[in-house]
Amino acid sequence: MDIFANLLLGLSVAVSPINLAWLFLGVMLGMVVGIIPGFGPAAALAVLLPVTFGMEPTGAVIMLAAIYYGSQYGGTITSILLNTPGESSTVAATFDGYPLAQQGRAGPALVMQAVASFVGGTLGVVLITVLAPLFSRLTRSFGPPEFFLLVMMGLLTLIVMVGGNWRYGVISALIGFALGTVGVDLETGNSRFTFGSAELIGGIDFIPIAIGLFGLGELYHAFYTGLHATGTGGIVQYQKERRFWPEVRDFAETKFALVRGSLLGFVIGVIPGAGATVASLMSYSVEKSASRTPEKFGKGAMAGLVGPEAANNAASSGAMVPLLTLGIPGSGATAVLLAAFVLWGLTPGPLLMAQKPEFAWGLIASMYLGNVALLALNVFAIPLFVQLVKLPYRVLAPAVILICTIGTYSVNGSIIETVLMFVAGVFGFYMKLYGFSPAALVLALVLGPLAEQSLRQSLTISRGSFAIFLERPMSLWIVGVTAAILALGVVMRRARRVI
Amino acid sequence: MRAGFLAAILLVAGGYSYGAFADLSYLSSAGRLGPGFFPRIIGVSLMALCAYSLYADVRRGRAAEALSPFWRTVAAVAALSAAFVVLLDLIGGLLAMIAFMAAALAFLNRGRHLQNALLALVLPVGFYLLFKVWLNAAMPRGLLPLPF
Repeated sequence: MDIFANLLLGLSVAVSPINLAWLFLGVMLGMVVGIIPGFGPAAALAVLLPVTFGMEPTGAVIMLAAIYYGSQYGGTITSILLNTPGESSTVAATFDGYPLAQQGRAGPALVMQAVASFVGGTLGVVLITVLAPLFSRLTRSFGPPEFFLLVMMGLLTLIVMVGGNWRYGVISALIGFALGTVGVDLETGNSRFTFGSAELIGGIDFIPIAIGLFGLGELYHAFYTGLHATGTGGIVQYQKERRFWPEVRDFAETKFALVRGSLLGFVIGVIPGAGATVASLMSYSVEKSASRTPEKFGKGAMAGLVGPEAANNAASSGAMVPLLTLGIPGSGATAVLLAAFVLWGLTPGPLLMAQKPEFAWGLIASMYLGNVALLALNVFAIPLFVQLVKLPYRVLAPAVILICTIGTYSVNGSIIETVLMFVAGVFGFYMKLYGFSPAALVLALVLGPLAEQSLRQSLTISRGSFAIFLERPMSLWIVGVTAAILALGVVMRRARRVI
Repeated sequence: MRAGFLAAILLVAGGYSYGAFADLSYLSSAGRLGPGFFPRIIGVSLMALCAYSLYADVRRGRAAEALSPFWRTVAAVAALSAAFVVLLDLIGGLLAMIAFMAAALAFLNRGRHLQNALLALVLPVGFYLLFKVWLNAAMPRGLLPLPF
């Protein structure tokens, strides 16, 4: 009953004309961000953060969250029509989406991906509605040991599950932690690694780093792979009039994939660090294993498109649970969302839902409406977004550099931060080139102060004994879940080699 | 090149660790864990992992990866981005944006002079209006006494 009343309160906030306008703008921007390869939601959110400075907090966060989950919808369009994923989380959509388009079924593939995204996203929000208050109550007993372990769990999950060389992932996270120690130590007031610079006393702001790594770094890498030279000549054409709508058998064949993908995606999304990419790849693997015709996968199986699409959207909803109830982001994009919360004076954590119900529930309610808007946009406005897909990268890229640079400057009016963004961009390019993890770096930079503070507090409480991390029941649970995730990560790495 | 990248991180990690051990105390004056506790753990771990990764790469004899044929484009775009950042402080936001777009499009979108000229003018003016006029966000003014 509480949930229903809270949801009604949230709806009353979300349906105000101004919040609806921000929501619609957010989903539109999310679609556009998803479509542009090499410009992910993390960079877009970081760049657009200063745009929200003049807005009311709830409207601002509703818009930013809509960009985040809207990008999951948009990224699939390029996967299906161009065989180029707009987001890493839509890579799985290229496996069967592009072959479907080549067989003349681009229309049904686009509509089915929209339906799958809608089902995954909406089921994810339903589960947030039910589970977030429970999580919130559960996590109120968390102390410093649990928070330290949760941060470690998030980072380890990100490193192990996303793939690549684990050593490079850990190095990336350690660099993030190191950057996070710059500035004044809050416990003792000592300056650390500031070299006498007044600009560094407050620490390194993660916004320029995030824009540099996810915006410029990705863009340079896209140039390195020749994305600007390939053009959009390979785009699959489709007809809006004939063979656009899916057939009944498409729905019949994929109904279980929809449910499986949604549930799997949500569970993975809740685990800090796992995220939409892992969810979609795992879902693809599950669907292939569960199928009676696994040989069709990779050649245009609708279940191979629908399952991962439902999963990545459910995961982006699931990622909101640790963000809202613990204040722990699981990816670069949710780390920027956390920064947005903090900017507006909202502290995500166990007490957020009790102390700011109109904000928390307004955001959750807006996600229901956002998914409906995205479904409508994806079915009826596809031609509009296809025109955007046709824009050549050589024209889009300078505009993206422009947005990144001016966006960074406008946060604090600092040219030093703009230089920092550029340096992070070059560093991010090399990280991407050599298999390091920019997401782990940003996450560690954001969570570093929390990790250090909770580690020092834990060891002070235990008088220097690390046994404190194994003595409390909740700590033990977190250690157990982390161990399970690590084991799953090892299994997934082996399975990925098979796929 | 990967080894060079790892070696560069190792070098910086060495400097960071030196600072953590030399300048920051392990315990605070109150006898609690001090400002050097966490950086020491991070610095030593980073150095150890970089050194091991470097050793593993060298021992495996990983051949230098072939450079992409587009590396010159990356270098040119990075140089243009750097010049853009420098120009922001010199000639202000609007002019720097126009100059950057004109140069970047002339390099990347060759031969389409009219399209490039239009984009180099319309996009920067659009961004200027969005950030400066509508959002009242900070925009670099530059050294010249220009009205925008």
